[in-house]
Amino acid sequence: MSLQRFILKRTLSIIPIMFGVSVITFGLFHLTPGDPVTQLVALNPDVTAAEEAALRERWGLSGPVWQQYLDWITNVLVGDFGQELRTGREVSDIVWARLPETVALGLFGWAFALIIAIPAGIYAAVNKDQFGDTVSRFLALSGISIPNFWLGLMLILIFSLYLGLFPVLAPSRQSLLSPEMLWYLILPGITIGTASAASIMRVMRTSMTEELNKEYVTAARAKGLPERTVILKHVLRNSLISVVTLAATLTASIVAGSVVVEVVFNWPGLGREFIDAINQREINVVMAITLFTGFFVILANLVADIVYAALDPRIRYD
Amino acid sequence: MPSRHNASDSNQNINRRNVIATIGAAGAASLAGCGGQSNGGDGGDGGDGGDGELFPLDVQIEVNADNSDRLQMVELIAESMEQSGYFNTTVETYEWNTYVGRVLDPEYQNNGVIPCIGLSGTFNPGSFCNALHHSDNIGACCNLNGINDSELDDLIDDARYGVDVASDSQLRGERYDEVWNYLAEERYSSITHFDLATAVSNTDVHGFEMWPFAEGTYSYNMFAPQDEQVMWLDRDNAAGDSDLSDLTEGGTMRIAISANVESFDPPHSSDTTSTLAQGFLFEALITSDSEGNVYPWLAESYEALDTQDIDRTAYADYMSTVGTTEEGAVDTDEQVIIQHPEDSPAEDDEVRVLLPDDATEAAEDGTYGMQYRYNLQEGVEFHNGDELTAEDVVATYEYVENSVLAPQTFDSLLTVVQIDEYTVDLYAQVPDAEAERSLPGRSILSSSQIQEVEKGNIDPREGNTPIGTGPYEFSEFEDEQYYEVTKFDNYWTEQKGVSEAFSWFDGSGDFPDGPVIDDFEVEIVPDDSTRSGALQNGEVDSTYGLNTATLDDFKSSEDFLVYGVETGGYEYIQYPVNVAPFDDARLRKAINHLIPRERIVENVLNGYARPAWTDLPALAQGSGTADADALEEEIRPTNEYDVERAGELLDQVAADN
Repeated sequence: MSLQRFILKRTLSIIPIMFGVSVITFGLFHLTPGDPVTQLVALNPDVTAAEEAALRERWGLSGPVWQQYLDWITNVLVGDFGQELRTGREVSDIVWARLPETVALGLFGWAFALIIAIPAGIYAAVNKDQFGDTVSRFLALSGISIPNFWLGLMLILIFSLYLGLFPVLAPSRQSLLSPEMLWYLILPGITIGTASAASIMRVMRTSMTEELNKEYVTAARAKGLPERTVILKHVLRNSLISVVTLAATLTASIVAGSVVVEVVFNWPGLGREFIDAINQREINVVMAITLFTGFFVILANLVADIVYAALDPRIRYD
Repeated sequence: MPSRHNASDSNQNINRRNVIATIGAAGAASLAGCGGQSNGGDGGDGGDGGDGELFPLDVQIEVNADNSDRLQMVELIAESMEQSGYFNTTVETYEWNTYVGRVLDPEYQNNGVIPCIGLSGTFNPGSFCNALHHSDNIGACCNLNGINDSELDDLIDDARYGVDVASDSQLRGERYDEVWNYLAEERYSSITHFDLATAVSNTDVHGFEMWPFAEGTYSYNMFAPQDEQVMWLDRDNAAGDSDLSDLTEGGTMRIAISANVESFDPPHSSDTTSTLAQGFLFEALITSDSEGNVYPWLAESYEALDTQDIDRTAYADYMSTVGTTEEGAVDTDEQVIIQHPEDSPAEDDEVRVLLPDDATEAAEDGTYGMQYRYNLQEGVEFHNGDELTAEDVVATYEYVENSVLAPQTFDSLLTVVQIDEYTVDLYAQVPDAEAERSLPGRSILSSSQIQEVEKGNIDPREGNTPIGTGPYEFSEFEDEQYYEVTKFDNYWTEQKGVSEAFSWFDGSGDFPDGPVIDDFEVEIVPDDSTRSGALQNGEVDSTYGLNTATLDDFKSSEDFLVYGVETGGYEYIQYPVNVAPFDDARLRKAINHLIPRERIVENVLNGYARPAWTDLPALAQGSGTADADALEEEIRPTNEYDVERAGELLDQVAADN
């Protein structure tokens, strides 16, 4: 199968996956009790049952679930994600407004993860079973195990409150690309990237170790190539394949991690909006963000598959 | 799925007793005389030696799991009941939304369980008895266990509605005293404590005082001549015992709030942070001091012109008949001002309702409960340069129709009628002692803005700058991040001078004519620990709503001042009065005696609350009692932790079974 056909096939498969995601999320959402009306008026002694019913009617929350889903999906298919019920604001506006913040945070975390993980992985593989390797494996294990909300709070405590190097609040009057903002992004970026860095480092180390034992490495060394060239030019390239897959999968965990990190660092991205929306039972917002992140994760995996081919021309798509 | 901690599990039980006993031995003062002494002797006897059948009684207490303080409180109550030996208690927890859905179900009362929930009351004393006990609120907020006592309904109604109480505040206080005494006698619910509202500021902020409602914290402090209250910034001298003569003008105050501003449109939002933001920009016809006394504000003066002895059925002739939907909603796009008390949209296909135009017609024909006349201040300027007139007031109240604030507005308001350019009449539906406070409470909007925007869209996100008469005008807003307000140059009290503007003002000559701080920068920071970090790091000057453990840290620091005041927030448990044996008042009173109110406040809430010795908090004492001290003296003994008295009552119950 040619690359073009592969891409086409995978792109088409996005449709049933997204459909599945939407049905499951919508269904799960309705299994959880409460709706925006309960949130808004339930504990207000002045609201009568009739007023509550009228509000449900107006917001389209009174029919059976399948009916509500059909109404929703029909609108989505023509590009209308509906409104935030309480405020009447367009959901697509909300998502677009939040997107740059989350993308910036995600990219920062992702870059941090790769910059730390790849050199550390190489170092650990080359110095396998020596002291440096043990230390880096210990750090990797800690990185995976530490919950990121806790790490975030600790970083704030040490670097913002004790050392005063970073502000606690994002410099909100600055543009996203200003130096102040990039400086501020360091702590949340580290927080969100740490777990990924740890996973990538471990995979990098394993696949690098495997490659180092292969015959072509011995041949290259025998040929008299400097060790540096052997590692960086031959072994690294071959070991990167598994890292690429992992890095793509980790996109999902970075997106998921942003939900927590954005709350801790008061970062006004999609993750914070998502939490608010769930708490307020704003179904349209929840659905839109879920679909969007789902789409993004699928896309990242597709890109990973394509990059495979670029790294290893032997991989064929059939 | 609810999770279950069964306190009656014998092993656990023994362990817990040991733990409590150990703590007691270690000398925790608040435990002395509580569980420690009583758990051994008489309690156990009561359990074993009762007439066999009734005790120990299985009791289930329910609570939402996400509020850890409330959960701990419930566990403490359960433990205390358990230790009496008369009860086997189970604490059942639910996720918040599940819980709300569960307890508001009208069938909930048949489960025979004790729910615990928190509500926030207002200056209106009714907010501490009506929601919990009036039969109108069964299946709604928050008569959870179906208390249906017509004598009590009448007592509650008679304390608020009627020509007599509307014109005689002394009588009103006496009527409420009857309510509190009746409640102490029947003890359908137990209010455990009243919350404390807290704020923390650094010492650059001078003259700060706590307001009982979080949403008014900063607008109250910026300028409140009714309490001679104003705050200012002085970054060179530390606050502490500064007084008005030290006042310095100018500066930018930075504050951190806990949630996004849902809307800047006053009647289309009711959340705390939206109201807080609107407090800088908008004003109402009246204002209120920290005890709930009403002062004319945008109205230069007001008077009650007339009160008539009618009830809501008197409007029948003016009502229209409209259909109802399957879900039990009234099928009309217009605001329902009054629904005929004898009709029910859930049961009938058609109901009689009073719509806005009919309400105005009724009032003009002389059918109304009360008529209040407001004489507006002249020369009040909106931020867009328009002058405030009666037209703005009428347009504002029309704009409230079908908004989030419509239910509480049209709970008492009939209609608003313009008399001349600076005079407007507000009518109450029935003679209502709360009318003076509740009718004129809405933020006044500019009629020209109302004409321009779609309903609910007075918001920068919709491209509309909110326009009010308040001392600050809107400057910037970044959704979920921050907003800024700047001092309005033509603010009317500064133009007139404070003693000229308010004939009731009799404060110091040093008191400024308006707020003195130039700008407010408000950061939106939902996470508690981030908010307190920003305050510690000097990135903001003030914040509120921090958890109690953090407050203690700030309290011990010289650079910060912690402010607190009792609010209307309260928590209560409610007994399943329709299920035996809870139909016996002695049982309910006994459990009430087993609630360790002082321990709850000290140990669970770190002292940031006050035990509810009566059902009436300090802020509603102004109109909720004839004599607060006498009331407390009378009712407090019934709410004291008293294992012996509980045992006596329970033995009586057992004997009668």
